[in-house]
Amino acid sequence: MQITITDVHKRYGDVVALGGPSFEIPSGSTYGVLGTNGAGKTTLFELLVGHDRPDEGRIDVGGIDVAEAGHRVRERVAFLPEHAGFPPAMTGREVLDVHARIRGLSARDERIDEALETVGLSEAADRAVSGYSNGMGRRLGLASTLLSEPPVLVLDEPTAGLDPRGVATFHEVIERIDRETDATVVLSSHVLEEVERLCDEVAILEDGRLRAAGPVDELRAAAGDGVTVEIRPAGADDGAKRTRERLLESVQALGEVTETDETIAVVCDREDALSLCSTLDSALIDRFEVREPGLEAAFHDALATAGRTREDDGGGDAAEPRTEVRA
Amino acid sequence: MTDDRRLEGDTQRLGGDARPGGNDGRGGGDDRRTLEGGDVVQTDGDVVQPDGDVVQPDGGYATLTDADVGRAGDSGTWYRQLLVVAETEYRLAIRSRWAIAMTGIFAAFALGLTTFSGSSVSPEGFERTVASLAVLAVYLVPLVALAFSYDAIVGREESGWLHTLFALPVERAWLVVGSALGRAVVLASATILGFGIAGGFLLREFGLAGFDAYVGFLLATAGLGLAFLAIGVLVSSLAREKTHALGISLLVWAWFVLVHDLLGLGLIAAFDLSDAAVSAMLLANPTGIFRALVLGSLGAAGDAGFATVLADSGLSSGLLVAALLAWIVLPTTLAALAIRRRRL
Repeated sequence: MQITITDVHKRYGDVVALGGPSFEIPSGSTYGVLGTNGAGKTTLFELLVGHDRPDEGRIDVGGIDVAEAGHRVRERVAFLPEHAGFPPAMTGREVLDVHARIRGLSARDERIDEALETVGLSEAADRAVSGYSNGMGRRLGLASTLLSEPPVLVLDEPTAGLDPRGVATFHEVIERIDRETDATVVLSSHVLEEVERLCDEVAILEDGRLRAAGPVDELRAAAGDGVTVEIRPAGADDGAKRTRERLLESVQALGEVTETDETIAVVCDREDALSLCSTLDSALIDRFEVREPGLEAAFHDALATAGRTREDDGGGDAAEPRTEVRA
Repeated sequence: MTDDRRLEGDTQRLGGDARPGGNDGRGGGDDRRTLEGGDVVQTDGDVVQPDGDVVQPDGGYATLTDADVGRAGDSGTWYRQLLVVAETEYRLAIRSRWAIAMTGIFAAFALGLTTFSGSSVSPEGFERTVASLAVLAVYLVPLVALAFSYDAIVGREESGWLHTLFALPVERAWLVVGSALGRAVVLASATILGFGIAGGFLLREFGLAGFDAYVGFLLATAGLGLAFLAIGVLVSSLAREKTHALGISLLVWAWFVLVHDLLGLGLIAAFDLSDAAVSAMLLANPTGIFRALVLGSLGAAGDAGFATVLADSGLSSGLLVAALLAWIVLPTTLAALAIRRRRL
């Protein structure tokens, strides 16, 4: 079932949560919505599942205006919120039974067994949720979305907070859904590798605006063949600060630099990466990693392009999307 | 995925391939357009499929049939959804031992009071004991009801269950009403059982003459509890955190149980208030209504504080019952409205 997002605006007080993104999510695809914190992903999902109405613009799910459909759109769109939880005293099967009954589904037992099997929780079905791990809880949430075999699944940061094994299991389930059903899966994530692995297409949001959208392969290609060098500076306290400054001096000339509390990342040519590797003082570094071109490069490229456009425009409102791969 | 439960392909084609442009859902043109798969969009927006079937334009959600979503008959309708939520809340309250705890508290206090009241075995002794139970109920029942309900919504939000329920195709209002209903059944059962045990002892001691009066007392006590449960649910729907809901609930209890009574007495003593003003003051507090109902029916209105003026207020039992019902319905309705604006 195709989803069409057309010039959607949403504002909460003075905060612009969405500033008019427009893109299409093809029927049957697995689609990733990427963005930094506060980019508007969750707001977009809230509008998509009928929790709120856009101030302007329109979201169509299978040709139906979500704003008009209200809560009934969730008969077509199954939603797994980021902070979904379950009463600890209930068993997994009971949770799914409540879901199935509220949805008014026929053949409940059969559906519940099938959903539990799909997410690998058949053996734990009759145990209280209080004994579930985070990963099992997320899989139970996913099972609840599968009960009605919906044409659209919306998963808000489905692997947030899971350990590596939980993430791997969750990925397998999503891939199985992708293989075995024709559902359209829309998911948001901060983990670019995850989106790269699971999704056919992505939209990159920043400050509520669309920075790029299109098939993952094409976005990767558009971002060029630069590699990502990620460095974790060594030391602590004042020493770490000086080390970080020295490292920044070394990498700033090579390309776009992205900093986090722990790491410095730069997207640059392979030759520059090799040169950097040989010239940096190993005493300054805890970890040095070179990653092949991927969605990460496309992501940084899209955000950097938008940043440069803002500067060129004199630092005004966020720029219109600069990278649009799909026609 | 079994074929008989798969969404009908036509519906998917209507929503997906039939409208690749994501326009207003009407086909976007004046002429008939041929789509992939041979579907044709007519000028009126209907989609004619190659086999001749006509699929209505979406123009609203009415096009989604029970078969589309695999629903069973009239299941999934609002009243069934409400009952599922209520039943779930009921089961959770039973499992968390709230039901047993509340029944135990009510029974222990009521039995203690009836055992040690020292009233003589006479009709007056019976009325005096029930009046004492009513005074106990005014303090105890609202406190227990608020403690039981302050986290009904905000607590479910903090545990993530509200997020999960909001993701379902159900009006938020029914989630609140269902939650209140499930808890109301538990509280009313605990109240009637807890105070009913004491009533059994009373009737054995004083005889069956007071049976009707005691049933009236039990129903009024249950009504008092439900009014404060509804207020607790409203507080829970408005509060952003559980601790805030708890604090506000304690203030609500202090206002209605302690302050309002004293304030009323002070105003009556200081000013020559009209009967209408006294009546309005009485109806503005569910504990006042409860006292008027119980003490008025016992003819023991001279026992306590503000109750002294109740008998003269001129309010009929029917009006008092209606007012108590309003104290149950109004906060629940406000909570159902408030939840629609809640952002998680």
